[in-house]
Amino acid sequence: MQTVAKLIDTSLCIGCKACEVACQEWNDQEFTLGTFGGTYQTKPELEHNFWNLIKFNEYETDGQLSWLMMKYQCMHCQDAGCMKACPAPGAIVRLDNGTVDFNHDNCIGCGYCITGCPFDVPRLSPTTKKVYKCTLCSDRTAVGLEPACIKTCPTNCLTFGTRTDLLRKAEDRAVELQADGSTHAGVYNPQGVGGTNVIYVLKDASNPESYGLPKDPTIPWTVSLWKGPVKLLGSVIFLGGILGTFFHYIRFGPKLEEEHPDD
Amino acid sequence: MIDRFNIKERFIHWMVAICFIYAALSGLAMWSRHLFWIATVLGGGETVRALHPWGGIIFALALGFMFRNWASQMKLDSDDKVWLKMSHRYAMNDEAGVPPSGKYNAGQKMLFWMQSAFTLLLFLSGMILWFPEIMPRTLRLGAVLVHPLAAIGSIGGIILHIYMSAFAVPGSLRAMTRGFVTPGWAKAHHRKWFQQTTKIEDERAR
Amino acid sequence: MASLAATFGRGAMTNGWTDVANADVVLVMGGNPAENHPVGFRFVMEAKRKRKAKIVCVDPRFTRTAAVSDCYVPIRSGTDIAFLGGIIHYSLRKGLYQANYVRQHTNASFLINEGFGFDNGHFSGWDEAKNSYDKSTWQYELDANGHAKLDPTLEHPRSVFQLMKKHYSRYTPEKVAEICGCTAEEFTKAAAIICTAAAEDKSGTVLYALGWTQHSFAVQLIHAAAMVQLLMGNIGMPGGGVNAQRGHANIQGATDMGTWNTLPGYLKIPRANMASLDDYLKANTPKALRPNSLNYWGNTPKFMTSLLKGYYGDNATKENGFGYQWIPKAGETENYGWGYMFERMLDGKIDGLISFGMNPVANGPNTTKMLAALSKLKWMIVAENFETETSAFWNAKKLAEKYYPATGEPSTIATEVFLLPASCFAEKDGTFVNSSRWLQWKDAALDPPGDAKRDQEIIGQLYTRVRKLYEKEGGKAAEPLMNMQWNYATPLSPSLIEVAREVNGRDLTTGKQLNGFGELKDDGTTLCGNWIYSGSWTEAGNNMARRGQDDPTGLGLYPNYSWSWPANRRILYNRASSDVDGKPWDETRAPLRYRNARWVGDTPDYKADAKPDAYGSFIMLPEGVAKFFAADLVEGPFPEHYEPVESPVENALHSSVNANPMAKIFHAPMDKLGTSKDFPYVGITYRLTEHFHYWTKNTKGSSELQTNFFVEIPDGLAKEKSIKNGDPVRLSTARGHVDGPALVTKRFRGLQVGGKTVYQVGVPIHWGFVGRVKGPLINNLTASVYDPNSGTPEYKGFLVNLEKI
Repeated sequence: MQTVAKLIDTSLCIGCKACEVACQEWNDQEFTLGTFGGTYQTKPELEHNFWNLIKFNEYETDGQLSWLMMKYQCMHCQDAGCMKACPAPGAIVRLDNGTVDFNHDNCIGCGYCITGCPFDVPRLSPTTKKVYKCTLCSDRTAVGLEPACIKTCPTNCLTFGTRTDLLRKAEDRAVELQADGSTHAGVYNPQGVGGTNVIYVLKDASNPESYGLPKDPTIPWTVSLWKGPVKLLGSVIFLGGILGTFFHYIRFGPKLEEEHPDD
Repeated sequence: MIDRFNIKERFIHWMVAICFIYAALSGLAMWSRHLFWIATVLGGGETVRALHPWGGIIFALALGFMFRNWASQMKLDSDDKVWLKMSHRYAMNDEAGVPPSGKYNAGQKMLFWMQSAFTLLLFLSGMILWFPEIMPRTLRLGAVLVHPLAAIGSIGGIILHIYMSAFAVPGSLRAMTRGFVTPGWAKAHHRKWFQQTTKIEDERAR
Repeated sequence: MASLAATFGRGAMTNGWTDVANADVVLVMGGNPAENHPVGFRFVMEAKRKRKAKIVCVDPRFTRTAAVSDCYVPIRSGTDIAFLGGIIHYSLRKGLYQANYVRQHTNASFLINEGFGFDNGHFSGWDEAKNSYDKSTWQYELDANGHAKLDPTLEHPRSVFQLMKKHYSRYTPEKVAEICGCTAEEFTKAAAIICTAAAEDKSGTVLYALGWTQHSFAVQLIHAAAMVQLLMGNIGMPGGGVNAQRGHANIQGATDMGTWNTLPGYLKIPRANMASLDDYLKANTPKALRPNSLNYWGNTPKFMTSLLKGYYGDNATKENGFGYQWIPKAGETENYGWGYMFERMLDGKIDGLISFGMNPVANGPNTTKMLAALSKLKWMIVAENFETETSAFWNAKKLAEKYYPATGEPSTIATEVFLLPASCFAEKDGTFVNSSRWLQWKDAALDPPGDAKRDQEIIGQLYTRVRKLYEKEGGKAAEPLMNMQWNYATPLSPSLIEVAREVNGRDLTTGKQLNGFGELKDDGTTLCGNWIYSGSWTEAGNNMARRGQDDPTGLGLYPNYSWSWPANRRILYNRASSDVDGKPWDETRAPLRYRNARWVGDTPDYKADAKPDAYGSFIMLPEGVAKFFAADLVEGPFPEHYEPVESPVENALHSSVNANPMAKIFHAPMDKLGTSKDFPYVGITYRLTEHFHYWTKNTKGSSELQTNFFVEIPDGLAKEKSIKNGDPVRLSTARGHVDGPALVTKRFRGLQVGGKTVYQVGVPIHWGFVGRVKGPLINNLTASVYDPNSGTPEYKGFLVNLEKI
């Protein structure tokens, strides 16, 4: 099965939040009232029951003001930090179509995925004590439908398709935008996480931080160390300790009282 | 027979031991997918995830008590320093030239300090990992490294500790279960302590 | 809408949403479609993506539309005419206009009477004492046949073209900058982009909404935009037009079906001095002003007679003037617009009010006045899905005392209020008429909950019961009611299918549905509820329910998708998309082509089999062409920059005439106006994408997306006042105040106007004192100041003060 992906062309996003509502509706999320955060953003950040957030950033450069609006959600990384960090077998799975999905029957709620994620996406529910995030509407894609956010987007800012197609489309669009005057336009498909199944076209790809995206996201080195060499070290010490003491016993035996002559 | 550990000491020790074993096993379950079967044995992943921090907290608290009781006895003296230099000889059961020990030998004292330090690290990093939603990301990123490293050290130390007490030095286990040792045992392994205690008893006898 | 009717002949969006995708230039001004019409905005983005269209956004605020535009120019609220006047000046000075179009399809060549002029703020004919204009000098010079004289060379000093050139010579880029507060460079950059549409093969569209209509000179303002579009040759062109985006799902339909001053289909309301049908028809059937004018309104007798047959059925006969005498007549010069209605109510001259899908306490300017006016009523019926501020007005003291300290205690209010639970849009069938003039039939998705009833049932019951009372007890003016035709199968709850068929009209001799208004007759043998909707439900069936997506022209007209008035025409004035000989201005974008002696493509806005040069291209106007010069408007035939009634500066063009001399300002004691001494900042009001009007504060999703009211403040002003993001602030005017947290933003810029910095502060509407989420009603702030043509209040550009609380 081909890897599917979501393309977000930020140059066409009008911040209408239709994707937010579609996400809430399709996923049967409870609607909660918000507190005023001093911006147009619905919530300051993603929540366990709010998986799709448009970030609004006022950004000024050379006296030129831009109001950057960008849909933010799970990036469905090719090399997913959450999967790497997760201890529970079957809790985070990669579907045949490349989607990184959480299986809540297996989730133990340790929250390691939250730390493993370079995009700060998964969120722990205080009631179920499990972690939630965008599923790329795996219940829709499984039957050949596009995710709810894509379906509802009024400006064609969002498109759904195979990753290969969308990458090509994204590159083409970036070239178009460059020709149109956005010289730094480009594709955001960070290689630090092996590329993502959510691909952005940014009008200024040299500065993804201005949109609220990390510049060169990677799985945090401490997480990689923890899940790599440290694990190895642990195995060596545990096995070494058990075997070592066992062979010590065989070679040297116990310390007997008689062996110590009286002085 | 010579009294070695009173009931309070024994109780705290076993409290620490039980909690440690639970925390270690449940921790191991969440550490590697290959060990996740431990979680199944212990009541499932969610239970393990919920109880591990509490096991850890009780362990750390109990260890705190233990620390308060024993810290003063765990200072290394000059003989201990020589003992440490000669520890390979001790390990090979060739104890000629290994200085005699007090109530605790230098190895036991080192284990005490190391376990205390590891526990502090485990406690602090554990608290950070317990609340991923609240704790700052940088702290969490540090904690994911500190917690397993401290656990490795700690479990490694305990493996040694169990071996020494249960297998390598017969008679030790009884000290911690029933509380007393034979004079022979005391004399053989903790001569300075043996001499001290017998002197006290002699004085009492007089 | 009043302006578009005067300029082009019909008061509606000229093109349609799908057509915006054909544009090369999109001027968004007086509207914020990215936020308020996000679904329609997809076609703007399509134009941007596929045609590399340039979007120019002119707005006091850097909006979500501005965020995706290619050129944003900030202007002070209420200075749009100066900006557009500047564009007219720029285009004429640089020769950037479509000369052939202007000559062939507009009244640029028409000559105006001697004596017309403009001096220091007033047009000729101003009568200071009467505060009104004598319009005699504003008329065309006529020949012996009563036809207007022309100068096709456009050189005559009294030609509309030369007068226009002279009038706008004052609107230089520097003057524009001085008035609007942008820089001259920003203005000329925008002007250059807008004027690229002057090329014959380029189209530019104008998208506007309530940011233009809610001024005391709104109609003039829209006329100015229409003039720009005529200069660019953009009317009738795909991707062109002046596109009014309606503020509610069915407000176009509501206007089409009549307002206080129009009957369905924009037939004018009978006045007291028109005693008979003949009088009415004489007064309201225009005469052609050119020999080649098709003058479609010349058919008014057919429309009116058929409408009367619809009202009174068999009771309408030739002998009784088809029942004309039963239609209520408005006083000869009386105005019953919103402002006047509530003024009368406040004066105790109105006993009762039926409020259907309307929330005057929230909608109307100066909430305190609305509350006071309603408390003078004897009774009020509110038919609604939710409790509204209007149905709860008597409890305002308790629910929002902070804002209405002077309002009476509930015990002192004698108005009897009936809140009738009504169904919402999804619970009834019928049509929505969107901005594109599409009548889209919909089915009910579910039944109304509980005791809620559909509107037609509420009306049916009301009618039937009142009629019964009349039968039993008699009463004043019984005839209109007793003679009304109400022959629906279920009189207590007429089916909307029956009503829709009646609105389309039928031939009374054959009993067959009409195919269109071309079949209407003035002899009483046809019946039609609204002539412009004729063709929507023919013998072929319900055309409004069609969902065909075929697009034979390739221009996105979708002729088989729903049904568009008039006559399923998708682009109004499409005859103007080609020159006088029928050659399209742009061969790649011709909605209409003359082939084999017929016009094919879109439904022609022209006689379908007439030669290209037979008639003028604007068939609804007596001139036969579109109007730069529009004497119909009350404050002048050319738009002139007037300051808002409450303005922080003097009019830079004529300080002696600051505001629109014809603006309607009410002077009840609570209609106070402020000065810039006490209220130094400019306030504006607007909608957010997250909410719909005062309605969605009751729904879950919208309340989550935007729970809180806020006050949007420029960061410069916030710094001056040491206000930080989230600090509680109070915004006040001479009428009242609102409190809310500050949203400090760079997107509101301090503007340099007349040598000083003018700050603008904005508040979103949407909140009120009832609902799932609550907040202040922003109309606490606004003034009872109205456009004299349309009667729309000046909700944008009033004086405010800002304090930290």
